[in-house]
Amino acid sequence: MPNALTTLPPEAENISRGGFNLHAGPIYRLADEDEVRRFALPVEEKHLNGSGNVHGGLIMTFADIAMSQTSRVVSGAPACATVSLTCDFVGPGKAGDILEARVQVTRKTRTLVFLSADIVVGDRQVAAATGLWKIG
Amino acid sequence: MRAPEGFIETRLIDPFERHVGPIYERGDPGSKVFGLRIDDRHVNMRGVIHGGMLMTFADAAFGQAAWDATDHGDVVTLNMQSQFLAPAKSGDWLEVAPVLTRRTRALLFLRGDFLVDGAPVFSVASVWKILGQP
Repeated sequence: MPNALTTLPPEAENISRGGFNLHAGPIYRLADEDEVRRFALPVEEKHLNGSGNVHGGLIMTFADIAMSQTSRVVSGAPACATVSLTCDFVGPGKAGDILEARVQVTRKTRTLVFLSADIVVGDRQVAAATGLWKIG
Repeated sequence: MRAPEGFIETRLIDPFERHVGPIYERGDPGSKVFGLRIDDRHVNMRGVIHGGMLMTFADAAFGQAAWDATDHGDVVTLNMQSQFLAPAKSGDWLEVAPVLTRRTRALLFLRGDFLVDGAPVFSVASVWKILGQP
């Protein structure tokens, strides 16, 4: 597992163009690492809960966006809809962290994509998510 | 109208919930109904509520229910399982009555169906930890 991101790499592409994606973000697409699709979210004060940790809703939002984007990339469809998402909250994230989503495709059928995402800060795991997306 | 008659604004503390809120509630602790008026901040490119906003509303509403169930204890989300049943759009009123399925010394099991005009659009089961309990 790589070191934690301290700044966004130059290739980072802002994928938050409007709506809730932008209101909750911004979220960035990073370069792939072999079969792992990577995304980044720099944590701001607005993303926290009352204890100063990253809010669970924001973590699930990040996982949803990262896996939805990946399902679009691997299916070639202009849009994919989340059917189900399960998220385990493993450890805290803090203000100033850059959360990284590491997404992998478990299986793709004609109509569905099965995905998993680890939300990490370097070698520290924040959340583990799996989900199912409908193509188109 | 932001909320139907009988609902009051929920007092939110978490910055992220205040950022995406307000949310509303009616009823007594243990049997509260929570509501959200979906607006343009909450939707995706297709004009329907974003999955992330649904899960954030669920986390906020279940958090309030967990807080009520523990007499304002320190509670955190361990796990959330979400099913996205049907789209809801900007302007819709979304509501949920969280159900406490079981409580142990250290865990809370919560579930809820999220309705628009009585029809389920989203369904959640979630496990919470009561901090400070072995």
